[in-house]
Amino acid sequence: MIQKIKSVAFFLFLLLVMGSFQKKEMDSTLIIQFRAYVHGSPLELNKKYLNPFGEAFEVTRFRFYTGKIAPAYIDASLKAKITSPYHLIDFSDSNSTRIELPVAAGNCHGIQLQIGVDSIDQSRGAQTGALDPAKGMFWTWNSGYINFKIEGNSPLSTQPSHLFEYHIGGYRNDNNTVWKIKLFSTNDESFLITKENKVVIEVGLDLDYLFDGPTPLRIRETSSCMMPGELARKISENFIGTFTGLTISPNP
Amino acid sequence: MKSLAVITFIGFCAVMWINVPFPFIIPKGFPPPVYRFQNNARTKEGFELGRKLFYDGILSKDGNIPCSSCHQQFAAFATYEHRLSHGFNDHLGFRNAPGLFNLAWERELHWDGGINHIEVQPLAPLVDPHEMAEDLNTVIGKLKKDKTYPVLFKQVFGSPGINSQRILRALAQFTASLVSADAKYDKVKRGDSHFNQYEQKGYEIFQLKCSRCHQEPLFTDLSYRNTGIEVDSTLKDYGRMRITGRKEDSLKFQVPSLRNVFLTFPYAHDGRFATISEVLEHYNSGIIQSPTLDSGLRKGIPISSDDRFYLIYFLETLTDSSFIRNPLYSDPALHGEMAKPVEDSH
Repeated sequence: MIQKIKSVAFFLFLLLVMGSFQKKEMDSTLIIQFRAYVHGSPLELNKKYLNPFGEAFEVTRFRFYTGKIAPAYIDASLKAKITSPYHLIDFSDSNSTRIELPVAAGNCHGIQLQIGVDSIDQSRGAQTGALDPAKGMFWTWNSGYINFKIEGNSPLSTQPSHLFEYHIGGYRNDNNTVWKIKLFSTNDESFLITKENKVVIEVGLDLDYLFDGPTPLRIRETSSCMMPGELARKISENFIGTFTGLTISPNP
Repeated sequence: MKSLAVITFIGFCAVMWINVPFPFIIPKGFPPPVYRFQNNARTKEGFELGRKLFYDGILSKDGNIPCSSCHQQFAAFATYEHRLSHGFNDHLGFRNAPGLFNLAWERELHWDGGINHIEVQPLAPLVDPHEMAEDLNTVIGKLKKDKTYPVLFKQVFGSPGINSQRILRALAQFTASLVSADAKYDKVKRGDSHFNQYEQKGYEIFQLKCSRCHQEPLFTDLSYRNTGIEVDSTLKDYGRMRITGRKEDSLKFQVPSLRNVFLTFPYAHDGRFATISEVLEHYNSGIIQSPTLDSGLRKGIPISSDDRFYLIYFLETLTDSSFIRNPLYSDPALHGEMAKPVEDSH
């Protein structure tokens, strides 16, 4: 009899354990949409803008790496499982700016994400997918990924064809340009992710802050940065400042 | 009985079209390698594909500059007798092409250590406008259109398709397999041979004066050091500083291995020293003081003419003739015949 109770109890315990595993299953979907802005209006490539220093510029290419994205759950016991691979966000390709992420259900107040490719993933050898060196985001003579690339032209650039080019990367010690950031909703609202309720999060990047950041970046003075170093690190800090919080909407 | 089992196994692999495992043998006395063919299991087919790519000009823009154009087997895969190598359209390269051997033990590659993994190394010469001057996507396109490569890639990787990862992994199967550990020095260490008295004396001087940086058994400690040289005013190459951006690394270069040193002349990152004697004289009397000079070289290394005589005897025992004659590493198009040094083919 006692044996029987024991086995039933064990069975119940097993069910409980399995149930708790079920809860953490990544059966829900989080959709993240990246959008770039200048002065609050959506960035259009090859269109003339003025930066906060009054410098005219056009953007021809704008790409960056992100990865290790996960919801920030309000319930601290719900540790986010980070399985998200790297994504190359390219504003000339609208398919690349939207990411669908399998996540566990839960009440969230933001997301965490990494901008750039961290040191572990920088030195794994030949890779495919977003990290394929054929994507043109890999430095061949100083191995490493360009974490973010913005190119364009400006009459104030002293370079040939008035180009400005910021190829920002570097992962070694003081030259690290990889950031882990947490973004919260702009109006401090929480949002519930469930199996039925796909949530769309818009992550906005405001290019004004790329120039008007902790280190003022004037095209007249600095029209190019093409290798890891102190300048790249400073520009990466400005770039992180362009991420301006989340706008949350239910699935359209 | 054992051989029958092996034959049956290989036969089974062939029938099932499974690639034959090709174990990487670590020479006795060598430390564990850095590159252990992780995610890139070494197979005979993979090695052969990498070897074919290494010797094929298809990787270069004009079809004339394969890897082997600057890395010649008879020179231990350095460029024979050239300060700087010739690349696309007769451009001169930036640095002296190093010999290629024992690369599986190198955490970082190139004179400045700028390459962080052996698999991504080929990308540097491939796109360099002075070397192979090619574009990665163009190479992929050319290989896909080729008659034989698509079949070979499918055979090696188990599914159709050619991408950058597969090209780079195949190349690494070949380059990481280039092991040089069968020089007279190695035979002496294994007890199969003896140094003569000159070599023995040279070995003792070597241990006293050179082995601080050129550590056995790799004959390099793979560190970055300024050996008291001046910057070349035309190349303006500051070595490791180019990678780290740190002033402390100015004029530092990775310590090269002395294995096969008789074959890899001229010496130093820009080939400025034509002979071993010149290099030894540099340490004896030519050290140029600078803030980043290696601390052990402030007073130079006194090397008398007697020392030099014996050292040269010892250094010759580091020439691995079975490595430079190994038909496994030679151009597959030569079918076992060895390429020989020719009068300046460039």
